Amino acid sequence: MTSEAQRLERLAERLRVVDPVAPSPGAKIRGWNLVLAAVERSATVRSRVHPVRRLVIAAVAATVLLVAGAVAASADSLPDSAFYPLKGVIENVRGALAFSPSDKLAYHLDLAQARLTEAEAMLAGHRIELAERVLAAMDNQLNDAAELVQLEKQSDPALGASMENRLTQAIATHDKQLAGLQGQVTNPTALSAIIAARYHAAQALKLAAKPAASDGNPAGSLGGNGQGNGTSATPHPTPKH
Amino acid sequence: MRPLGKAASDDDRPLIERVRKGDQDAVRTLYERYFDRIYNYVYARLGRAEDAEDLAIDTMTRSLTRLDQFQDQGVAFSSWVYKIAHNATIDHYRRHGKVTLVSLEQATLPQSADPSELALEQLSNEDLRVALRALTDEQQQVLILRFFQDLTAPQVAGIMGKSVGAVQALQHRALGSLERALQGRAVN
Repeated sequence: MTSEAQRLERLAERLRVVDPVAPSPGAKIRGWNLVLAAVERSATVRSRVHPVRRLVIAAVAATVLLVAGAVAASADSLPDSAFYPLKGVIENVRGALAFSPSDKLAYHLDLAQARLTEAEAMLAGHRIELAERVLAAMDNQLNDAAELVQLEKQSDPALGASMENRLTQAIATHDKQLAGLQGQVTNPTALSAIIAARYHAAQALKLAAKPAASDGNPAGSLGGNGQGNGTSATPHPTPKH
Repeated sequence: MRPLGKAASDDDRPLIERVRKGDQDAVRTLYERYFDRIYNYVYARLGRAEDAEDLAIDTMTRSLTRLDQFQDQGVAFSSWVYKIAHNATIDHYRRHGKVTLVSLEQATLPQSADPSELALEQLSNEDLRVALRALTDEQQQVLILRFFQDLTAPQVAGIMGKSVGAVQALQHRALGSLERALQGRAVN
């Protein structure tokens, strides 16, 4: 009678000589084709989204989202908002992309309207100082628009006349709004700022209505608020003074 | 005994690096090195050629397409492949139930003069495989890896996540259980 250890050793030896079962050649070929296809697919995916590239893509996406979000947030921002300076940057870009005199005029008029809307909001919130500043910025835009009309009247009288008409209508609309504001406010500083804004708007209108100067220069700017070249005006929401 | 090919070893790392760089020859070498072994391992566990084929292919696909995960494991590639094969087998059991194709009672086992001794020489390979499938999961695993796959105790310990001593003890108990199974006794 053999010991348990001997019996188990014999059993182990018997197991060692059990022939392995081989897969069929067809299975092996099928397996290879499937494995190769999976490896190639996996390599494509890996190369498509390499870890470092994935980080770069994520960073770019995050930046784009942040910028897009900030731009969207700045679009309607007011002078007391953190996004307001960005609004000025965007307006500058837009100004740089306005090439024709007609586009430039539309740009200045849009910005003048934007400043007036901001002034209304600031007055409603009793932010008198900020209202004063944006009203001055509005006048700057109107003055630049007037200078632009003056220049255009010299080079293309017909177009100049059309632009003058647009400026006149815009200033008339602004003046109505300012008159309405004037009737609502009681703060003396705010009141004088509105009156000054109406005065400067009227002066801009006069400047635009002047006959074209023969020396090619604008008939004269009002109070030095405008830039005088019609293109590099002060689109920044924050007025310069 | 027909050899299964090159024994699983730790010298797969250069090949793995080549696979990462898209070298198909390296993929082929690893496939050739492991496919038959894994097929044989799974067949020993399941006893069905069709299932063994599917699981071996699945194991090789997972092994060669998830090398990033392997890098994190800190184990030999061979151990990792066997672990994947083991998990695939367990999943198969869960999905389909554990099927014994030929019961031990139905198998005609040769008798020796001494009932305590088995006529091992007269046992067919299939008798041994059927008896082996009656063991516990761990017992099957240790016997297949040690004797069918010809792995060392430390290699099996790495695959099973046990100490070498625990593997040796498990192997001893598994052989005892297999002997009793072959004798038609109750399996522990």
